[in-house]
Amino acid sequence: MVGPAPRRRRRRRRNTFAYALIAPAALFMLLVHVVPMLAGALLSFKNLNTFTFHQLFGAPWTGLSNYEAILDSSNPLNDGFVGAVWNTVRYTFWTVLGCLAGGLAIAVLLNRDMRGRKWARALMLAPWIVPGFVVATIWQFMWQSDVGIVNKVLVDYLHLLGDRPTWLAGDNALWAMIIPSVWRGLPLNMLIFLAALQAVPTELYEAASIDGAGAWRRFRHITLPLLRPLIGIQLLFGVIYAAYQYTIPVVMFGSNPGPDADLMMTLIVRQSFSNSLFGFGAAASVLLMGVMLIWVLLWYRAFRRDLEAAA
Amino acid sequence: MRRRGTAGDVALDALTWVIVLAMIAPIVWLVLSSTQTNLQISNGTYDFLHPTFDAFSRMWQTVDFERYFLNSLIICTTAALIATAFAACAGYALARYRFRGARPFSLAVIGTQLIPGSMFLLPVYMGFVWLKQNTPIHLLDTRLGMIIVYTAFFTPVAIYFMRSFFLAIPRDMEEAGLVDGCTPFGAFVRIVLPNAAPGLVATFVYAFLFAWDELLFAAALTQTQAETIPIGIRNFIGNYSQEYAQLMAAGVVSTLPVMLAFFATQRWLVKGLTAGAVKG
Repeated sequence: MVGPAPRRRRRRRRNTFAYALIAPAALFMLLVHVVPMLAGALLSFKNLNTFTFHQLFGAPWTGLSNYEAILDSSNPLNDGFVGAVWNTVRYTFWTVLGCLAGGLAIAVLLNRDMRGRKWARALMLAPWIVPGFVVATIWQFMWQSDVGIVNKVLVDYLHLLGDRPTWLAGDNALWAMIIPSVWRGLPLNMLIFLAALQAVPTELYEAASIDGAGAWRRFRHITLPLLRPLIGIQLLFGVIYAAYQYTIPVVMFGSNPGPDADLMMTLIVRQSFSNSLFGFGAAASVLLMGVMLIWVLLWYRAFRRDLEAAA
Repeated sequence: MRRRGTAGDVALDALTWVIVLAMIAPIVWLVLSSTQTNLQISNGTYDFLHPTFDAFSRMWQTVDFERYFLNSLIICTTAALIATAFAACAGYALARYRFRGARPFSLAVIGTQLIPGSMFLLPVYMGFVWLKQNTPIHLLDTRLGMIIVYTAFFTPVAIYFMRSFFLAIPRDMEEAGLVDGCTPFGAFVRIVLPNAAPGLVATFVYAFLFAWDELLFAAALTQTQAETIPIGIRNFIGNYSQEYAQLMAAGVVSTLPVMLAFFATQRWLVKGLTAGAVKG
């Protein structure tokens, strides 16, 4: 006979064990993520610059002046901020779209039975394993106007273009970052979509074929709805990672990429660590995180039902 | 069954292989150009039949690449090991136990991914400076400091990885162990963990891949002692931008360890990455 008291005690002991198991991870997350994040939010209300940095967390309060500097269009700092915001929006949009659409298209291609499919999949995954800083190194070398292979192929070998374009400046600079980012990000999306496609029973497609549905309608009405939860997850994290991209611009263009290629993260890190405008950087980080929170909420509204279906 | 051998099928097969070639072309180009001289690269007189490995021997002198490489190896291996251990524990708790705070905890785990690095970089940096000034603990520009930071960084994703591996292991095994008189901890260590070995390896490699690639914190928290490979590459581009061959050789050397780790564990890693996709 088991009474309520011993059961509760056993339950409590099991809970104690569970708490002990999450304790190390929770402690590290608290010390390196949560506390510094809150400290970062506080610092955005402080006047922290070259002269006050030695006071560290004791630097004087300054109210909302860091935020005013960012949002006031007459402030010289505002100009660079607005430019970086638009670059980041464009970079994020095209990178995520390219990764999702490209990954899906290639997954559909690789889902057909063809000779050497395993090899094709393994090779397709290779760009994902190349570290981001090497990706930026390879591409900034390939984009070089005079010695880069891109212009050698387009201009010297194929004669597709008359004069040598400059890829790493002007309007091209953003695409010089988007293309390598898609190249590197697409394989992981492809892998996840392909795994899901292979789990779809072929009878579904066969039944649809018999009913006279063409390839496009089968894709539109069977494949896409089945992949919707996965597309949602990839979209959520894809946008966050792209909006926080730092390695690609800083390796390709250095710590000051200029107005054509400056992203939010390069701007924040440069203003904080090169120009010692730490308060400005903290305020810009808070705004950036706020925008991402709004994105998560919007995303949640759109994909809530898919999450429930997946769970 | 789909019909094979129609013109459409052949065309789609060809398209697939063209895309595969396009995807690996930049990697092939990285390797090929590392075996050419700077002169051959700049005026386009490539000679791939007579490769030179000169760049691979000289890159170690141009910048102190050995130090960067060693730092990366030590920091990333240690951090990935600790992160995997932490994640194995936390992932197991989330997969097997219902306890108060489980939901907030797993939300917090995802929530960490939402914090921009720049937001907690500055406080972490200031915390390290404060510790250096007021205590004998030196975390700024030390491997220990980087290991602590990277462990914390890659633990959250690793927790999700481990949790999905544990969910795939049948409960009966550890319940049999508990009946035989194992403590919950004994059952976890002696029964569950050995069965989760592929998951542990995959999680380790995954955390290692990410740590190997981290640049933002390494740039701010290291100066002259604990710099990692991404910092070395950035110095290379900044100061020796004409040394194309050596730069590409450095790129090859930086990619090799992660390539090897990936292909050695590909089967398990792919299983972990696609766990969410094939659950249904």
